Amino acid sequence: MIDPSLVANNVIDGVLMGLLYSLVALGLALVFGVMDIINFAHGDFVMIAAYLSWLLAMAFWLDPSIIAVITVPVFFLIGVAVYKLVIEPILGAEPLIQIAVTVGLGYVFQNVALGIWKAEPKSFPNPWFNFSIDLGPVTLTVAKLMAAAISLISLYLVHYLLTNTKFGLAIRATSANREVAPLMGINVRKVYAITFGLGIALTALGASLYMSWGQTNPYLGQSFSLLSWVIVAMGGLGGVVGVLYSGLIVGILEALGTTFFTASARLAVVYIAFFLLLWFRPRGLFARR
Amino acid sequence: MAETMLELKNVEAGYGEFRVLHGINLRVDKGEIVALVGPNGAGKTTTLRTILRMTTLYNGEIRFKGKDIRHLPTHKIVEEGVTMVPEGRGIFNPLTVYENLVAGAYTKKAQEKMDDTLEFVFSLFPRLKERRNQIAGTLSGGEAQMLAIARAIMSRPEVLMFDEPSLGLAPKIVLEVFDTVVKLRDEANMTILIVEQHVKNSLEIADRAYVMEMGQIVLEGEGKALLNDERLKKAYLII
Repeated sequence: MIDPSLVANNVIDGVLMGLLYSLVALGLALVFGVMDIINFAHGDFVMIAAYLSWLLAMAFWLDPSIIAVITVPVFFLIGVAVYKLVIEPILGAEPLIQIAVTVGLGYVFQNVALGIWKAEPKSFPNPWFNFSIDLGPVTLTVAKLMAAAISLISLYLVHYLLTNTKFGLAIRATSANREVAPLMGINVRKVYAITFGLGIALTALGASLYMSWGQTNPYLGQSFSLLSWVIVAMGGLGGVVGVLYSGLIVGILEALGTTFFTASARLAVVYIAFFLLLWFRPRGLFARR
Repeated sequence: MAETMLELKNVEAGYGEFRVLHGINLRVDKGEIVALVGPNGAGKTTTLRTILRMTTLYNGEIRFKGKDIRHLPTHKIVEEGVTMVPEGRGIFNPLTVYENLVAGAYTKKAQEKMDDTLEFVFSLFPRLKERRNQIAGTLSGGEAQMLAIARAIMSRPEVLMFDEPSLGLAPKIVLEVFDTVVKLRDEANMTILIVEQHVKNSLEIADRAYVMEMGQIVLEGEGKALLNDERLKKAYLII
């Protein structure tokens, strides 16, 4: 018999992690939705940002989550630079070329990380918020609660940007029809650069928040990439809201996998559920018709 | 003499290695409606796209009000005052009708005048006002064409180009589209360059027209005169 409070605890943990996954996946969704490019290196940006958060946390002896105020703007600029140098030349190229380039970029990141920091995991030894509070039968980790809250606020801000600002309208118009958007006076290349920068900035925010309890290694990006693809594929055409729900579903499935099977089976549960979903609703949960 | 708005001199253009235009000379004066007609594949659409730098230009000159616009990116040319109602309408389907119109007024100049322009397009197309909060992808073909035209007007162009605006529309709506084109010239001081498959209708409203074949201009003249041209009648007009 499984203890109900354990289930409750794990599901709550799953919800909190799900919000963080949504945040990271939103970056992938934006880039895919607007530029029609699948960035296979997406998770590896999370990994590099996690190392940067750890390095700066060690240097300033501040909690990694606070370091987000540096990593987010820095990774926005890195995103814009990577767009200009790597992505712009392959816009409109065959899918195979785009895959090769972004997969290759991911391997470069992984091997640079491996070369500099070796394979051993790194974490911040003096986290500020990595403690638990008891609320009756459930126990909450404050760092995760904080990360989830900031993720949710960020998702809302991106949603607001897209639906209520002039630049957001330009992003959505470009996403809807990139051939015609310039006829409105929209600078599509600029929209792409900023969208990519924003997508990468979101990975940095996710990474810094994650490092306030987690640890990084050169392969951290792989699980973030896979989870992000699952979330984007499930969220389909649902926009920010679709990504939010899909992230929550993935987080909760992962938690249930841990509860009812083992921690190492948790991703298998996610992927089996994903497989079934694609079988019955190949265009995702939020596809129209 | 009226100011020359658009001038193409010896323009050779195409897509990558594929040459479509072999030396186009064309002029559109202020307040004119100029039609560009000819068979499929003659290069009419390519001509419009070349003006907006949406093709590869190999040779020739393109001027807007005397200014060389060859090296401006598309969105800058739109800022200068030239835009196009694209073939197939190119509506932003997931956006609402209103959002499509706001997107049309993206440039700074257009944004400042947005309220006035909105009033004008709603008076032109009252249907769009009724449907302003509807998702654009759910509009009928005729309504979508009205939205495409309205959206182009929102950018306050001095020269508005139409690429096959009547394609796929019911005959009654085709007439409405041609009426609108004339109205835009008469009431909104726009200069019009129109590519059309309805040769007869477009020559009737056009001040001047160019006939294209195989990437070249083979005939030019006043719209009404071309309407009676025996060669042209033989080739296309027996509709």
